[in-house]
Amino acid sequence: MRAPLIFLILIILAVLALVGYNSGWFGTPATGPGPTSAGDILPGAPVSGGPGAESDEPVGDGGLEQLPDEPQGQTPVDPVDTPDVPAAGTFGHFPAGELLPKSGSGYLDRTTWSPQLCFPFAEDAFANSQVYGPGGGMGPKDKPSQCDATNYSLPWRDNFCESRGHASPLCANGKGHQGQDIRPATCKKDKHWVVAAEDGIITDMGTYTVTLTGSAPPHRVYRYLHMRMNQLAVTEGAVVKAGDNLGKASNDFGGTPTTIHMHFEIRAGVAGTSTDGKAVKLHTFLPPYQSLVAAYDRKRAGQACQ
Amino acid sequence: MRNPKIRGLIAAGATLAAVTASAQVAPTPTPRPVIAPVTRPPGGPGGVDWAAAVGGLRQSGGGNSPVGRGLNQAAVDKTQLPILLPADPDLMGGARIYSFGDYYSITANLPGARVSLTGTAQTMPLPATSKLNLPNIGPEQLVVQRTVDGQLASFVRYGVLYTAELRCDAPSDTRCRTETYVRSLVAKSTVVVMGKAARLAAGLGA
Repeated sequence: MRAPLIFLILIILAVLALVGYNSGWFGTPATGPGPTSAGDILPGAPVSGGPGAESDEPVGDGGLEQLPDEPQGQTPVDPVDTPDVPAAGTFGHFPAGELLPKSGSGYLDRTTWSPQLCFPFAEDAFANSQVYGPGGGMGPKDKPSQCDATNYSLPWRDNFCESRGHASPLCANGKGHQGQDIRPATCKKDKHWVVAAEDGIITDMGTYTVTLTGSAPPHRVYRYLHMRMNQLAVTEGAVVKAGDNLGKASNDFGGTPTTIHMHFEIRAGVAGTSTDGKAVKLHTFLPPYQSLVAAYDRKRAGQACQ
Repeated sequence: MRNPKIRGLIAAGATLAAVTASAQVAPTPTPRPVIAPVTRPPGGPGGVDWAAAVGGLRQSGGGNSPVGRGLNQAAVDKTQLPILLPADPDLMGGARIYSFGDYYSITANLPGARVSLTGTAQTMPLPATSKLNLPNIGPEQLVVQRTVDGQLASFVRYGVLYTAELRCDAPSDTRCRTETYVRSLVAKSTVVVMGKAARLAAGLGA
């Protein structure tokens, strides 16, 4: 008679412990969706009631940044678990490589490829998925708006290597998202400034892309996509300093609007080994997330870029 | 609570709860982010194979090719690398060069598209645990990658990592959806141009 009772009590206590953990009773940041804790929310960052959407126009590409007839690439699978956790004292963000479930396999190496990166937004911003978040082409059906508060809340989420048909050799099957998608402070296009990631020269401007080449070796190439191209603060050949305004975050995508966000790429020449053992040098896409987290920490600490 | 058995039971339950909770909350120490180092290849200025580059210069007219004559001469002279251009005077006619000395970037316009050409002798080593998923590595380590807006080719010649990139104004532009154009651009990249800094480094005098 007593043994089942003891067992039952033990189970109840264990369940209470689990509930307590997930509710933050032990003072540990939860790792589920949504803001991690009040202390993790940045000043001014909306956490409820919506981010003040100006409009929620249709999104032609579902945030995918590729044509409908192009293959999306890898079969989405859950990312490999990582032992990493956000460092104490930083803001709420998932570890590098931990993509949204069923959105692809993340790149788990923690190399900070641009150690002095200037955070590429003048204000707060939210790194997360355009495709698998609310309002995205593969997002939750019960949250059809890209302006959903979830998209404008912590924690951040890595989406380098998220499932795409484009080449990305560091991703698990050689294809995946080539950069990090970042939403501006609010769901309003043409309002929030995007800034130079380091000192350099604007070496190219397309119909929805701006390319900044860093002055310092190894001359990283930063690509900014989807700014309001007819309101840019720079032209090709402009010499810029880290933190200078480049343009405003928008949804330009060659005629078909995408979600309101800035797709941010870091490229550089790298030397490595292919999966079949060949030494190779190439110019390719590097995961920006770790560098962005460090840059955002510096920004939050009041460190200037210049 | 007076019953020692009950107190013992609660203590055992609490212990189990604590163990369960700690298994959930105890974080593995955060790996310290690694800062990416930059490598400068050994063996001469920037690791450039100047003998081979001079051979390429001579094969392409010894610097007398009309291709690239429109480039800013000061930027060409500043560049400490053999500049590699496609033998396409129409494409290169209005091209602009941006030089950092040890890296250059050239931008040229096409109808509805743009081309970028870069060169560098510096690379960053990837972590040993990171392998590159590259199914088709061609001669001269040629790799072609589909980008959001086009095609990016990179290859190594004369010890220099070169790129040729095509970007289209319209995502549906066929030139950017297949590798044909960018591969043809690489195939005709045969014109070597050397400014003062490169000639000095190559032992040709300024």
